[in-house]
Amino acid sequence: MSFKYSYNALVYYGEAIETSVERLAHLGYDAIELVGEPDQYDTSEVTRLTTEAGISVSSICSIYTAERDLAHPDRRMRTQAIDYVRRVADFAAAVGAPTMIIAPTACMKIQRLAAAEDEWRWAVEGMRIGGEYAASLGVNLALECWNRYETYFLNRLGEAVTMWQDTGLTNGGVMGDTFHMNIEERSIPDSLRLAGPLLSHIHIADSNRAAPGEGHIDFLPILEALAEVGYAGYLSFELLPAAADPFGTLRAGGGTEFFDAYTRQAIEQMRAVERELAGERR
Amino acid sequence: MNALGVSTFIWTSPFGNEKLYLAAHAKKLGCDVLEICIEDPSLVSAERVRSAAEEAQVGISVCGAFGPDRDVSHEDSDRRQSGIDYLKTCIEIAEAVNSPLVAGPMYSATGKTRLLTPNDREQQRRWATESLREVASYAGERGVSLAIEPLNRFETDLVNTVDQGLDLCERIGADNVGLLLDTFHMNIEEKFIPHAVRAAGDRVFHVHACENDRGTPGSGHVDWDGLFAALREIDYSGQLVIESFTPTIMEIARAVSLWRPLAASDDDLARDGLAFLRERLEE
Repeated sequence: MSFKYSYNALVYYGEAIETSVERLAHLGYDAIELVGEPDQYDTSEVTRLTTEAGISVSSICSIYTAERDLAHPDRRMRTQAIDYVRRVADFAAAVGAPTMIIAPTACMKIQRLAAAEDEWRWAVEGMRIGGEYAASLGVNLALECWNRYETYFLNRLGEAVTMWQDTGLTNGGVMGDTFHMNIEERSIPDSLRLAGPLLSHIHIADSNRAAPGEGHIDFLPILEALAEVGYAGYLSFELLPAAADPFGTLRAGGGTEFFDAYTRQAIEQMRAVERELAGERR
Repeated sequence: MNALGVSTFIWTSPFGNEKLYLAAHAKKLGCDVLEICIEDPSLVSAERVRSAAEEAQVGISVCGAFGPDRDVSHEDSDRRQSGIDYLKTCIEIAEAVNSPLVAGPMYSATGKTRLLTPNDREQQRRWATESLREVASYAGERGVSLAIEPLNRFETDLVNTVDQGLDLCERIGADNVGLLLDTFHMNIEEKFIPHAVRAAGDRVFHVHACENDRGTPGSGHVDWDGLFAALREIDYSGQLVIESFTPTIMEIARAVSLWRPLAASDDDLARDGLAFLRERLEE
């Protein structure tokens, strides 16, 4: 089998989308992952650009700020978060993205605002409502875990599987991100196997969140596990500068290697791992 | 063989005299040394620590905790001074309890993750250097070393990698200043842990042997074989201390972002982790 590759445009900070799309098409990517800020895009323009370049939109990387918190104790805040899920679903459908990322609470929130059981219940409820809407548009959800410094809520894939099952949804499942998993999981391949058929999206980054090859993650057993469970989705690179606030670095003009250099290296490295895997199997 | 130990953070925070039963407890679980963190010096009597350690027959290792008021690289000179004064207190305790070193991320207050211009960053490094030079000389007079700990990007913006730590050591330029390497942080920041260990070489003064999730060493995916091979290569003869944190105390859980229990019990983490490290070291 051969994997499909996408690159999260999150790190192409301040760049015109046509430049990003051109780069990815030129380097052999199958798709682009777009940032979950629907107002920042002209969807028909996105469709025109990607169609012309011959690539797809793999996914929408939702941005869960404090104003978009499905587990918030205030009902109005939860409603606002569900509205956001709906807007991202509309956006995904408009650009033909099969998958959108979802998370139960705000990124970088590391303090509960209510009892754990209540927060869980609210998050499940919101996700179900948003997820049913997404299903009506043919869009799948991918429930994401983040490392301990970015959330207290879901840190490991096993916890995400439990939450996903609680929603009762059938359009999508959970997603793994190798950067977070390197911190939180005891074995990345074993955790992926455990999620198995519920894996609906993958983010790839090396241990230091740079392009594969820059850190110490062994991607061979990871691809092997994904092949084994029949994962047919995208491998999307979510690479970010080494800072607690990677976007601050980007805003200040840093992280230039994340544009051309890492975009090229990421897909080349993973293709090399794929060849290694194929060789091993022969 | 290297002395093995655990940090009192596995059970408690803040550490104080009433927790000294942990010396005998740690010994029973397989410790040669107990690492105590001096969060509040007024809670710790060096005299009592020494006698409890002697009675339990464990060594003591001293580690510092660097809150906002103990910041040797702060722009305000009063804050820098209180950071220096705190480290001197830790050194006095270390000397009194026969700890060979004071360890920790002593170059800044922990949790500062700011975006600085290169000039401001350089100024911060200069303040850290100047302050720690004074601290190193105070430590040297008392036969104590400093082991500077790089932390991962979510905990500090100043020293994340061994390379940055070595640069700081070089700027300070004292023989009794080296590094504390913590495998939990290295798993996030280092390109390849064994290379980083070799690069640090004889500047490795202290090691925190932690699993990638701070769980029981041996239960995760840290490359222990690679780590131990590199430590043997550099003739590391210092201590290996397991640092983890109890998730039951809210303040410390939040400070290190630990949200779940990492083992069946705190004792299990210590006992099983020590047994794993001992077995690997004896191989």
